Amino acid sequence: MAGSAPGDEPALFFPVSSDSEDDTPVPTSSKLTSTKPPTSSVEHSAGPSSYVSKNGAEASPLFFGSPEPETVPASTSYKSPPKRPALSRHTSSQRSKSVPSDFTGYLGEFVCEGWSLSKGKGYCVPGSKVVFERPKPKKIVEETSSVVEKIGPARLVNGKMVHSKAKSMAGKQVTLGSMGVGKKATVVPKKPPSKPIVDQIIRFRNDRGFEIGRLSVGEAGFLVHLLDTGVIELRGHVIDCPPVLSTGATILLNVKVYLTAKAFEQVDKDGREGVGTFWQEQKETEEEEAMRKRKDALGLLFGRIGVKAIQSNALLMAQKKNGSAVINEASLKHFAARASSGANTPSRRSQSPSKASSSGSGKGKTKDKGSARNSDDDEGEEDSGDEAERLDEEQMNEIDTIYRKAQMGDTKLEETDPPSTFLYTLRPYQKQALTWMRAREKGDESVREQSLHPLWEEYAFRTEHAAGEPITIVDDDDEIDPGRKFYWNPYSGELSLTFPTSKTHSKGGILADAMGMGKTCMMASLMHSNRVGDVPAESPAADPDGEPDAKRPKFKQVTLSNQWRAVATAPKTPSVAPRATLVVCPVSLAAQWHEELGKMGEKGSMTSMMWYGNERQDIDRILGQEGKKRVDVVITSYGTLASEFQKWRKIKDKPSYEGGSIYDHEFLRIVLDEAHNIKNRTALVSKACFELKGQRRWALTGTPIVNRLDDLYSLLHFLRLEPWGHYSFFRSFVTVPFLNHDPKALNVVQYILESCLLRREKTMRDKDGRLIVELPPKTLDVQVLDFSRPERQIYKRLEDRAKRRFIQLDAEGKAMSNYTSILAMLMKLRQCVDHPLLVLGKGANEEEEGDRLLDTANGDATGSIKEMIAMYAGGVDAKPPGESGTETAYALKVLKEIGESEDSSECFICASEIFDEVLLPCYHRGCQDCIVNFIGSCEDKGKPANCPICGQGPYKAMDLRSVQRRRKRLNPITGARAEDGDEGSVSLGKVDLVSSTKLRALVRKLETMRMEEGDFKALVFSQFTSFLDLIEPVLTKAGIQWLRFDGSMSQAQRAATIDEFGKKSKDPVILLISLKAGGVGLNLTMANHVFMMDTWWNEAIEQQAIDRVHRLGQNKSVYITRYIIKGTVEKRIMKIQRSKTALVNASLSGGAQRDKSATLADIKKIFGLDEEDSEDEVY
Amino acid sequence: MAALPKRILKETERLMSDAPPGISAAPNNDNLRHFDVTVAGPDQSPYEGGVFKLELFLPDEYPMNPPKVRFLTRIYHPNIDKLGRICLDILKDKWSPALQIRTVLLSIQALLGAPNPDDPLANDVAQNWKEDEKAAIAQAKEWTRLYANGE
Repeated sequence: MAGSAPGDEPALFFPVSSDSEDDTPVPTSSKLTSTKPPTSSVEHSAGPSSYVSKNGAEASPLFFGSPEPETVPASTSYKSPPKRPALSRHTSSQRSKSVPSDFTGYLGEFVCEGWSLSKGKGYCVPGSKVVFERPKPKKIVEETSSVVEKIGPARLVNGKMVHSKAKSMAGKQVTLGSMGVGKKATVVPKKPPSKPIVDQIIRFRNDRGFEIGRLSVGEAGFLVHLLDTGVIELRGHVIDCPPVLSTGATILLNVKVYLTAKAFEQVDKDGREGVGTFWQEQKETEEEEAMRKRKDALGLLFGRIGVKAIQSNALLMAQKKNGSAVINEASLKHFAARASSGANTPSRRSQSPSKASSSGSGKGKTKDKGSARNSDDDEGEEDSGDEAERLDEEQMNEIDTIYRKAQMGDTKLEETDPPSTFLYTLRPYQKQALTWMRAREKGDESVREQSLHPLWEEYAFRTEHAAGEPITIVDDDDEIDPGRKFYWNPYSGELSLTFPTSKTHSKGGILADAMGMGKTCMMASLMHSNRVGDVPAESPAADPDGEPDAKRPKFKQVTLSNQWRAVATAPKTPSVAPRATLVVCPVSLAAQWHEELGKMGEKGSMTSMMWYGNERQDIDRILGQEGKKRVDVVITSYGTLASEFQKWRKIKDKPSYEGGSIYDHEFLRIVLDEAHNIKNRTALVSKACFELKGQRRWALTGTPIVNRLDDLYSLLHFLRLEPWGHYSFFRSFVTVPFLNHDPKALNVVQYILESCLLRREKTMRDKDGRLIVELPPKTLDVQVLDFSRPERQIYKRLEDRAKRRFIQLDAEGKAMSNYTSILAMLMKLRQCVDHPLLVLGKGANEEEEGDRLLDTANGDATGSIKEMIAMYAGGVDAKPPGESGTETAYALKVLKEIGESEDSSECFICASEIFDEVLLPCYHRGCQDCIVNFIGSCEDKGKPANCPICGQGPYKAMDLRSVQRRRKRLNPITGARAEDGDEGSVSLGKVDLVSSTKLRALVRKLETMRMEEGDFKALVFSQFTSFLDLIEPVLTKAGIQWLRFDGSMSQAQRAATIDEFGKKSKDPVILLISLKAGGVGLNLTMANHVFMMDTWWNEAIEQQAIDRVHRLGQNKSVYITRYIIKGTVEKRIMKIQRSKTALVNASLSGGAQRDKSATLADIKKIFGLDEEDSEDEVY
Repeated sequence: MAALPKRILKETERLMSDAPPGISAAPNNDNLRHFDVTVAGPDQSPYEGGVFKLELFLPDEYPMNPPKVRFLTRIYHPNIDKLGRICLDILKDKWSPALQIRTVLLSIQALLGAPNPDDPLANDVAQNWKEDEKAAIAQAKEWTRLYANGE
């Protein structure tokens, strides 16, 4: 953190004691001169004066750190208690040992050049000590410093010593540096990120206080930040210099570098547990910037001095027994390089959301400025970064590989039986999950072996022989005195004196079993198994340090966090162990959770309660109930949580706030179902989840990574898995390297997943080689259909116009700015594929552009599409109900014939049983589709459409009459053909042409199934509820029972619908579901047929939909039928679906602004503009 | 390859299981719309005893459009040219979707029994047929013996 959080009030980090002795102005006194107040890094030997003392001027330096630094009480004083707790936040945790304030560790020395800024003799000779200084940033605590600034540095002018006033700039000798001091210091506010510029000058003076010169730019560059933040101290002496200095003369210096206590302390982000506001977005970005600078600077410094790691991650990793994830040093270096280059981006990205978000105080704003500065240079890359971040197919495959690797050991997990109160029988793999989950909750890492923290390197302080100060002499060969060791994380820039293990603070994890494997069930078994939490006083979150203690007894790890907790948390929470589990799930699943929890447990063993909606009860009361009414599980929805969060955030800091929010409760366990709901870390709902208090945290999701690695970050953040839950960290180690196609990134991901994620797939096998889940087979049938003629005409017209419009926009360069209207046009096309009538309906969205397509405005003489559709819809009705006299006679004749010739019910065109039977005026019969098609094709060829059988005609579609015979409804296979002579029930009607190809195909299929199977349950998915509207009456007409499930229904209605659908029925029941409302989570295993009426952008969504049926509990074969119309956008959508590219995501996120550019190409693809149209290739 | 329409499947099935006398038709393994056909020369015709190979192809538009049929075996016939193309109305404008492969092949077989030199495709053959029917028939028999011997 050095500098980092700092931004805020650096003062917080200064030892209290130092305040008083701040800057003594230019001591002209002889001896040691710590002169400038301003430098935070004054020479160690400097006098007691300056505030440098904190660094050990007086206190004798502890070069090697006492093995057991006594820091306990001191540590609290380091920071003022969390008035603004968020500030204290930090990344990695373990090594949060506090260090005595007077600590310094000798790092090494290097030789460098300086330039003289003075003229004359007597400033220095080889061997004379020099003191380095930096302009001191103005700090509120140190008002006195302003005095110094006014006075300015002392210097010799022509042999006299002068205090030049910086502002007056007396004389030529006013150096740039000193000017800088005056100006900068005043500019620098207490929040460094808003500093417009930091000067890069490090001046040095002799031990009498006279300024000699400055370090060369190259050297100063990386030291500046470190000095300013007090991470290092420099001491030096002159090696060589001209006897008489002239301005610009070269002075050769030897510089010794010491790490100060600050270097180790500040990076302490403990105490977070007790602190609610801790996870605010803007914090991270601010911190990020500082950490990055520090990291870069330290890296350079180490390189400059030649400090080498004694032990680095490669070794650590190699020691791991199963060594599967060897991250070698080189690759990590590689990483680091990339990471730093990309580090700017995140800070910027995260800004806008955080700013917009509620908590955007003044802080957020300053930060904006700050980070804007450092992202100047990568401005242009920003967008491309966004695009690239998405995982392409290949990368997703790699992720799969990782999952697989991370799962390798899992088949060996023990099986644990759930307690008897849990009624379901778990499958073996579910029992294994229980073992794992219980272990995770206990914090027992041994169940799955843990890797050592891969990102740290071990270093040792050198012995400083010259100094003649107390030195512990250690044989460097083997065991280095642990006291001399320190650890550096070259990726985050953090330093530590304690051994960083990869142990996590979090209890819980990600249960990422594939869909339909019973995650709910496993979680329920866990709830039954582990019912009581820890008493908060010794809250589990506090003890992670316990284990390292055992391992490395030399380091007593009294942490700040312990201190905090005692103060901050304990008084608040009653010392009753939390018992309740909070389940957060999509609203559509709430009822299901409730119901299943009820079914799975012995009666009364586990009570759950749904908590959402407007009339939700007071959470305090619910959780306060004891005895029979006690509530073990509270089920709420993401939406409810988000609104609670918003409420709470507004009032929590007001003095009048009395608690009572869900955020004031500590839960035993928090479970996020369908946890990918929080994949966007800046979304309100995600924040709402992050802030929940719970001892154990679980994320359930079948897709921990949806389409970016950052998705995973959000989950880790929720789990509080250190250090990965820290954004800059995750970004630098995972996201950025991954974007750079550095395969090592995957090692890190794997490492992370190994530690906290359990994933099994349906295809996995247990140790005996059996499939862990045996699901009935699933058959996918893609029905490629052909438009009827009128449909194709309408579609073609629509498509042509859309294409033309797009080309026009594209040519004018306006395609991107008309992005939404292009999406609207595409929407029209997709609707048209389902049913031409949909095109006329208005969706919820703006569809002006889409509508414009329908008008003639484009100078298209052939009539508007609206008219065409009207014709289509009007079709037969348009014909006057003709000559009724003949009509009747005709009908009678035909009826008789049909009654007599019941056998020949095969269509002469399609050779199948006649579907939607129609009669030609010559009494010849066929399927409506076939005959209409035939007539159409004849018209196309300009041939008379004569009856194919008898040659009479020509006929038109309007001449057809549809035949309805009730008899056909009966089952011909079982022979239950009730031929009770009711041939009379044959009737003729007008031909209903107002249907669509897909709709007819669906009904046809359902009718066939009804004959073959009798009773069955089927789901019909469409993304357009308006299409569902059109399906309803057709089903009704066909006498098929249907139910409807869509987003407009209340939770109660949904539950009732599902309930109804689940009831036993002798007849087929169809559930019409909108893809968006019903695609997720629902358990609909009572059905075994799925019809996908249209194609959605993202295949995963469709997969989810199918998994409603093909999941645990399904014991019939599952049949999926997908309807696609030949030669339409659907084919191209499917192509894009496969390549999972940008548009998919853009559409998913509701046409997110920033995704636009890459989508252009996709849109072109959809319009078929980028390729020769390989229409017949597949469809 | 799009799925085969049910009609084609059914027709194929029927052709295989219940072929009309003297006719065989089997789909090509690579392309189920492509049939290898043999037609026996009708009794009492110059082609009696011969086995003629044909190929039959069902276009995508089938049954809205007629199948395409061609003789592979050389045949001396006024309505069949030397490329094997056949002059038959139902293969052209008289096609109706009510017709089938089976009916087409039967019609072709019938055409062998009833050459129609007045609507010729192979003009020289038709000429010969009209001028000297006996010689023409002898020629047809000779070709049948030569080419349509089932090899």
